[in-house]
Amino acid sequence: MDVLREIWDFMSTAILRGGMYSLMAVGLALVFGVMNIANFAHGEFYMLGAYFGYFILTATNKLGLPQFVPPILCILGAGLGVAVVAGVIERTSFRALRKRSKGQWLMNTFLLTLGISVILQNGARLVWGGKYRGVTRMWKGDALNSLLNFGLPPDRLVAFLIAVLCIGGFVLFLNKTSTGRAIRAVSQDEVGASLVGVNLGFIHTLVFSLSGLLAGIAGASLLSVTPASAFMGTMPLYKSWFVLILVGMGSIGGSIVGGLILGILEAFATTYLSQFLGSGSQDFICLAVIITILLIKPNGIFGKAVKSAVE
Amino acid sequence: MLRVEKLDVAYGHLQILRQVDMHIKNGEIVAILGANGAGKTTLLKSVMGLLPPKAGKVYYRGKDVTGTPTFELARQGISFVPEERNIFQAMSVEENLLLGAYYNKDKAKIAQNLKKVYDMFPRLAERRKQLSGTMSGGERQMLAIGRGLMNEPHLIILDEPSMGLSPTNVLVVFETIKTLTSQEVTIAIVEQNVHATLNVASRAYVMEHGAVVMEGTSEELSGNDYVKRMYLGQSIETENETEA
Repeated sequence: MDVLREIWDFMSTAILRGGMYSLMAVGLALVFGVMNIANFAHGEFYMLGAYFGYFILTATNKLGLPQFVPPILCILGAGLGVAVVAGVIERTSFRALRKRSKGQWLMNTFLLTLGISVILQNGARLVWGGKYRGVTRMWKGDALNSLLNFGLPPDRLVAFLIAVLCIGGFVLFLNKTSTGRAIRAVSQDEVGASLVGVNLGFIHTLVFSLSGLLAGIAGASLLSVTPASAFMGTMPLYKSWFVLILVGMGSIGGSIVGGLILGILEAFATTYLSQFLGSGSQDFICLAVIITILLIKPNGIFGKAVKSAVE
Repeated sequence: MLRVEKLDVAYGHLQILRQVDMHIKNGEIVAILGANGAGKTTLLKSVMGLLPPKAGKVYYRGKDVTGTPTFELARQGISFVPEERNIFQAMSVEENLLLGAYYNKDKAKIAQNLKKVYDMFPRLAERRKQLSGTMSGGERQMLAIGRGLMNEPHLIILDEPSMGLSPTNVLVVFETIKTLTSQEVTIAIVEQNVHATLNVASRAYVMEHGAVVMEGTSEELSGNDYVKRMYLGQSIETENETEA
């Protein structure tokens, strides 16, 4: 029985975490694949999502709405809020840079995202102070409580379901709508896309907003697991980059699988190795795997030699 | 339909086009001929907003469109089929064609145009699910032209449509161009295949070193000694010798 219990715990932790990593990584991969930007401010979108979610949740909790309404508003509002912030950032910084010069694009945008990250972190610190803002429990209800008997934390489970919904919806959007098709077109051939009438500027802003939307939703969904604080974005950023390096840059399908692989690696490290390696074992294992991947297969396990398109 | 006035284009300090004047009337097929490096592609790219001109104007349907972004021109009914094709390689043939009608919201119209393109190029219909990056050069060229036709353009600009194609496919391309004229599409075509081009075109321009050196109807140019010698490969040396 104990072994079964252990395997169950292991798998549930792995998958519940992995779903969130996938959600973060998909946004990062999208921006890299379409705009060729290595976004190091992606973690700050997660952070803003958590803050926005916290304020919306505490405000709507006072209104006496049905139990499940405030968390839904919280997650939707946080996602949309971050999408707007990301859109404004794209218009004011990346578009301006694109107009001036496309030389050294990857390096310049990388530096730009680092600057944006510093500004957002310290701006959040300035506005909201050093206090951690979190909630103990987001989703309440008897049905959810029974989940605890299976060792499943309800908030994490719901967050995982949200991640699955978002990723599923996002993949459908990319493949089935004409705007989604245009996004993939831009990632494959910018000139070809403008020749059929796709406004590149609009697609770039949209893509950056969408990646902000996904990160914001991730931040708000995990509010009870990681409370909002100004520098909370670093870990999810690194995790998303782990995933991208693991599977290859710019591949959406790969990022989804990669998130789950990362979840499994971490769960493995915490369950079986922390007794030998201490509490840092999960980072140790992840970094060891990343270094190995970079040495053996620098394009990632699903990567191709050529920059792959968003697929 | 299209008028180019005194267009100057440069890459950095290297001037490619000098004072190019050109016009295309409604329903015409106009050919632009010239050797490699004469500036034909540069001319098309700057008309299409892909290269900013240094000086000069481009008018489309009577309106000054100099400096208008490429996607706007596409939406106003200019289809440019570039030499590089610029198809979306990781997408299926059908998705490529649907993107050709990207800003058209009329579903029935899109389906109708899709059928038209498939009728024109049955080869594409056979391969509608295939990734376009895995197709042969000829098929890609058909796809690029088909994509350019998906939104019922007023003006279609073809850059080297027969380049890299097998003789059979070249024939298909020129047949297509002929059928297009019956559909009241205006066509500008850049070609190395001068003989076939003059056969379908109504008028032609000859470019050399970034300037238009000659213009006239196809009959005039096919009869011109200079064009015959330089582009049609007909030897008229004997006459020259007697003169000398």
